[in-house]
Amino acid sequence: MSSGEPNVIAKLIDWLSKTQVAKAIFRTGIPRNRRQRMTVMLNNVFLHLHPVRLPKHAVKIKYTWCMGGLSFFIFLVLTVTGILLMFYYRPTVEYAYGDVMDLKEQVPLGIMREIHRWGAHLMVITVWLHMFRVFMTGSYKPPREFNWIIGVILLVLTMLMSFTGYLLPWDQLAIWAITVGSNMAGATPFVGAAGPGSNLLALGDVNFITSASDARFAMLGGRFVGEGALLRFYVLHCIGLPFVIMIFMIVHFWRVRKDGGISGPV
Amino acid sequence: MDQFKHLINILARPYIMFPAMIAAFFFVFPPTEGLMKINRRLGLYKLWTNKGGVAIFSFMIASFAFGLTDENFRLIVTKPDNVPIVGLIFLVVFFLWLAMKQGWDNDARQAKGLKPNEAEDAKENILVWPDLVYIELIALVIVSALLIFWAVSLHAPLEQPANPTVSPNPSKAPWYFLGLQEMLVYFDPWIAGVLFPTVIMLGFMAIPFIDNNRKGLGYYTFNERKMAISIFLFLWLILWIFLIVTGTFLRGPNWNFFGPFEYWDIHKLEALTNINLSEMIYMIFLQKQMPSNILLREIWGILLVVGYFTLTPLILAKTLFKDIFKSLGPLRYSVFIILLLLATSLPIKMFLRWIFNIKYIIAIPEFFLNI
Amino acid sequence: MSQPTQTDSKNTSAENSPMMNRRTFLKWSTIGWAAFAAVVGGYGTMVLRYLFPNVLFEPKQEFRAGLPTEYQIGEVSERWKDAFGTWIIRDQEKIYALATICTHLGCTPNWMPNEAKFKCPCHGSGFYSTGINFEGPAPRPLERYRIFLADDGEIVVDKTKKFQQEKGEWSDPESFISV
Repeated sequence: MSSGEPNVIAKLIDWLSKTQVAKAIFRTGIPRNRRQRMTVMLNNVFLHLHPVRLPKHAVKIKYTWCMGGLSFFIFLVLTVTGILLMFYYRPTVEYAYGDVMDLKEQVPLGIMREIHRWGAHLMVITVWLHMFRVFMTGSYKPPREFNWIIGVILLVLTMLMSFTGYLLPWDQLAIWAITVGSNMAGATPFVGAAGPGSNLLALGDVNFITSASDARFAMLGGRFVGEGALLRFYVLHCIGLPFVIMIFMIVHFWRVRKDGGISGPV
Repeated sequence: MDQFKHLINILARPYIMFPAMIAAFFFVFPPTEGLMKINRRLGLYKLWTNKGGVAIFSFMIASFAFGLTDENFRLIVTKPDNVPIVGLIFLVVFFLWLAMKQGWDNDARQAKGLKPNEAEDAKENILVWPDLVYIELIALVIVSALLIFWAVSLHAPLEQPANPTVSPNPSKAPWYFLGLQEMLVYFDPWIAGVLFPTVIMLGFMAIPFIDNNRKGLGYYTFNERKMAISIFLFLWLILWIFLIVTGTFLRGPNWNFFGPFEYWDIHKLEALTNINLSEMIYMIFLQKQMPSNILLREIWGILLVVGYFTLTPLILAKTLFKDIFKSLGPLRYSVFIILLLLATSLPIKMFLRWIFNIKYIIAIPEFFLNI
Repeated sequence: MSQPTQTDSKNTSAENSPMMNRRTFLKWSTIGWAAFAAVVGGYGTMVLRYLFPNVLFEPKQEFRAGLPTEYQIGEVSERWKDAFGTWIIRDQEKIYALATICTHLGCTPNWMPNEAKFKCPCHGSGFYSTGINFEGPAPRPLERYRIFLADDGEIVVDKTKKFQQEKGEWSDPESFISV
């Protein structure tokens, strides 16, 4: 190894970091000393998610398993790949299946759907393991009760995201999984046509809760899994649920900091 | 060899495997002091040492390797959509081991009067830049690499175009909902598909408010929270993860049950002829005509269900859960016990189905109300 | 309504001469919040109603199924399963139309001629050729559609009207054709 080479690179980086452009972007410069390492955390909006200092156990991977952070990262991956997939996908019964085929056959880098789908599976797993870790370290105990609730909601939303995405390829797997899932909604007590108590909401002979006016219909936009369901699930998957999940994520991260950072022994 | 596989197929039958797992569970994760003693005497805690971990994983890998030599097993396990569940099994077992190992380590330290390992670490403060951000960066790179490798090597499944008139056989929900689908075999959709998910969600949210044990915050432990951990693991491992694994690998055509080495025969005949509790009582025991009045007909089942949710909590509060009742107080205890009884109603209904072929305890199809 | 003294109110402090007394305040705040709740509730109901369109575009619900002589006694005909989701079954005295929708969660059962039963692939419900459930989780029998003979003698199946056994509707003359 030549001894001169690293010096050249180091000098180049050094020089670059002193240019006006670099100074304008990174206010701190290269974090070399203790003071700079602290200010870089404070000055950068993304790094500011973290505190400046942490007790040592909190960064040990055998304590945190890194699952919460990975869930967030996979969420970002899914957002990016999802946006890219939307360029080629049309949510209609006529086109959906063919478009998904084309994503593999006709589009360069035909693994975008694979990354999206496997990433979705992985996110469900990491979210579960994150919950498992939080439980095993007792981190839901006061003062973090509220954030545990937010976490449960996020877990449910993750699964709903995955479920709504399941319909979009419009293949046999999709339509029957959603048929079964939506028929469960039809069995909701009182507001589902096939649920207990549905005949109670009636005026004389006229039932208010029928297969065209119950919870299942609101979900599917029709009496069976068809055009309406595909569009509704598409909108929920791409806009509705991500919007909700983002709001809860913001609260979740905020409360991690406000409730005293990552849990630790008192 | 074939006889060995046949034996495994028999052992994998739900009415053998499930009770065995539940029985073993409470020795491996003892909720009470008495079971803890048995655990120690049997040396089961040694699972949570390095040697134990090696043993667990060698066993799992060996089982999988052996299974893969079998055509039927290979066919199911290597289906693209089932690969995440294979990963899930290994990940869950690994992290379970990791958590329990650290828990038992800390318990041993506390028995000696020392503080948990995390407390030792926490004495020192470190800077997030670079110590944490670099860990995060490495984790991201590894996961990205894994994801890309996975995406390149396995195609995302795409079956035939949707056809509303032909259900594939078997038709499965997405794997993370297979626990619910399994419940649907034993309960009507309004219970398994609506009531249970809602209760599971609310029940999980209620955990911090039910568990009033202030110990064990911020470090791994088992001994200080054994009841809480045991119940949680029972719900999560047995009633959720295990049902998912069952639903993925052992449920075949017509939703029949198949052993891991069994061929998925569409024409496998399994008598699933079930009978309602009311029919059983009137037609078999009393040898009478069913009463035409619905309430009279179903009174036995109604009494049973109401009794289950009112008498059992009272009895348990006086006996097995005496200490819990004392520490939780009436309100917390009521919430806790109702949630727990709802959860245990699933295995109870399973056993009733397997042993007595009970279909419904209360059967009022006139109002879609079946329990 | 109260009568605040308007001349004083500008000069004196609020404590001495309140613009409103407690009762008036409570009254107006109640009215205000009730109005607010009514508006939110109204919008909520409208959004809920928005989810149920007035016009539905669904495939035709009525179809012609050929002459009764095309069906043999004891046969479960799968001729119209794919196109219209209906089995036409003829037994000794009648012809009836069964919906291909499992009463458990809406999957399509398969007819298994050897075992003489419908078997649902999703959760294992089984039905006899009459539609009566006898195994698995299905809570009630399959539904039958309205069926009648057109003027030219052809069978017509009308899927908009269903007949459920547990409600005693299978004896309804519209639910079968006597042959």
